[in-house]
Amino acid sequence: MSTLRLEGVEKHFGGVRVLERLDIAVESGEFLVLLGPSGCGKTTALRIISGLEEASGGRVLIDGRDVTRAAPSARGVSMVFQSYALFPHLSVAENIVFGLKVRRVARAERDRRLKRVAEMVGLADLLDRKPAQLSGGQRQRIALARAAAAEHPLCLMDEPLSNLDAKLRQEMRAEIRALQQSLGMTVVYVTHDQVEAMSMADRVVLLRDGRVEQSGPPAELYARPETTFVAQFIGVPPMNLVALADGPRGAVISGCAPGAAVLDGPGEGVLMGLRPEHVSLSETGIPARIEAVDYHGADTVVSTRIGDQRLQIRIAGHFVAPKDGEVRLAWPFEAVHLFEAESGRRADLPPKPAKGNPQCSVV
Amino acid sequence: MRKEWVTGYLLILPAAVVLAAFTHVPIVRTVHDSLFSRASAIRPSRFVGTGNFETLASDPVFWKVLGNNLAFALGTVPVSIALALVMALLVNRKIRGQGTLRLAYFLPTMLPMIAAANLWLFFYTPDIGLLDQILGAFGVSGTNWLGDPDTVMPCLIAMTVWKEAGFFMIFYLAALQTQPPELWEAAHLEGASRWVYFRRVLFPMLMPTTMFVLINAVLNAFKLVDHLFIMTKGGPNNASNLLLYYIFENAFAFNDMPAAAALTTVLLALLALLAVSQFLFLDKRVHYR
Ligand SMILES: Nc1ncnc2c1ncn2[C@@H]1O[C@H](COP(=O)(O)OP(=O)(O)OP(=O)(O)O)[C@@H](O)[C@H]1O
Ligand SMILES: [Mg+2]
Repeated sequence: MSTLRLEGVEKHFGGVRVLERLDIAVESGEFLVLLGPSGCGKTTALRIISGLEEASGGRVLIDGRDVTRAAPSARGVSMVFQSYALFPHLSVAENIVFGLKVRRVARAERDRRLKRVAEMVGLADLLDRKPAQLSGGQRQRIALARAAAAEHPLCLMDEPLSNLDAKLRQEMRAEIRALQQSLGMTVVYVTHDQVEAMSMADRVVLLRDGRVEQSGPPAELYARPETTFVAQFIGVPPMNLVALADGPRGAVISGCAPGAAVLDGPGEGVLMGLRPEHVSLSETGIPARIEAVDYHGADTVVSTRIGDQRLQIRIAGHFVAPKDGEVRLAWPFEAVHLFEAESGRRADLPPKPAKGNPQCSVV
Repeated sequence: MRKEWVTGYLLILPAAVVLAAFTHVPIVRTVHDSLFSRASAIRPSRFVGTGNFETLASDPVFWKVLGNNLAFALGTVPVSIALALVMALLVNRKIRGQGTLRLAYFLPTMLPMIAAANLWLFFYTPDIGLLDQILGAFGVSGTNWLGDPDTVMPCLIAMTVWKEAGFFMIFYLAALQTQPPELWEAAHLEGASRWVYFRRVLFPMLMPTTMFVLINAVLNAFKLVDHLFIMTKGGPNNASNLLLYYIFENAFAFNDMPAAAALTTVLLALLALLAVSQFLFLDKRVHYR
């Protein structure tokens, strides 16, 4: 069990600023996911925590101890690399106990841990093989086993599943989570895959250009994104951001007839966020034109156009577009998010339903 | 099926012909010649069986030369390989002047052996040579480095190591650059020092390169001869004579072709034995990915 704090951590490479005053706190036993698009500095942050990279500014504290300048091996962290970083000339068993041997852990203890973690990750029958003789998933399990065998309270993982196929990824997600809980490890897990973040994390820290954009439990990021960036990063397909315009009876969707208000109040400079899964077909809804239909099996993603805005919706099952390509859409009023178009920040004002226009915001 | 077989042989034919004409046929002829006596004006060459080899076995110079060659191999091979590895590790790091350093290490290899031998001849010259000038500052002077049977071999070994290490360094450097950096990072996080990492991970992973370099170094120890022409001519009193130079002496100085053929056969057998044993013994310990 271990806590981790980053206080104002900065990192420059030459003149390029990669991390900007990063503040992150991880509770003991927490599964924290660092999420963000490619190049936002996730790996850099992780390497600073591990000590493989030195911070240009700020402090790193593990269990309250300042380790900003400490050697990697003195920090009590283990790490799972994206490329697994297995030693190809050593057998599975030797790979797992490599660190224990280096640290001169007694033989009996080494064997005990090897047996335990090998069983945990299901490698007990493969201990004599070389990594090259194993599948990608099995190699990833060795890397996990090696990290677990170290019994360091803090474990760092950098996109450990990105080299695996979709099905295996799903299995391994559950396995990693189970391993973390049964060992009570504190985990910092880096990924650019929001599905991984949503399904595994106790808490997600979403990074953007080296800054924390928002952090919180997955459900909170989904339900209350603070910026349009978060809104579009979490969820597939991403949240629709629809530009609004002023109308005589309230805000209208840009490009729609002036009378077709969807919300009360002004619309200029405001973006309306709507998740595709919250929009449905309705006889009394707003008319929209179908542009594309994308069948996924369990559901269908339909791209539509309302006014001059695009809106993607998710419909359960197999949706067949009507001949004329016209549908009517509706959404519950509570599903609406509002953002300031200029700053991209969540608008403080709660949305109000448009008065006297039931057509546009059906409950 | 049959046609494929013919095509295959046709395709390798040009290479096979060249290889046979310049390698295999001469080898067979040499072995053949080694079984016949020396022809003279009054006595034609005749079959003598192992006679030439028996003469060789009773030739003290042959044993001396063979011993010299083994000493030369033992002196040059391990040291030049170790040095090559150390230099490769040094210049593989991100340091300033890395390119210049690599070039400097590689420079001796680029020099023709004749030029290198001349250079070292100057180093070893008594009194006015570089070595004696330096030692002169400490009161030691007038050492005839290449003229003394006790010092001549170490002198040649030192020069050969200097010349070869840079060449082998290139192979190690190439191998080092294919090593994924995460392996060091993973080991480092687990508490491994540079040395432990080298011993437990890096060196085993360089085994294929070491194997390759080792074979080349051993072969070179028996193939190098140019420097003897410049520096010692095998002297003094055969103290620096090597097998290949002795073959040359027999063939062209003493005009004893059968002896030269027998010596060549011995050398070939020795090299074949070395190659086979290296493959057999080391292959088991080499990790190929
Ligand atoms: N050693 C380095 N020297 C210079 N720039 C670097 C170095 N390492 C990373 N960067 C830069 O820092 C930025 C962040 O890199 P980082 O590897 O942390 O991104 P990431 O979030 O892990 O991306 P990905 O999801 O693609 O792995 C990138 O713009 C990258 O070009
Ligand atoms: Mg990364």
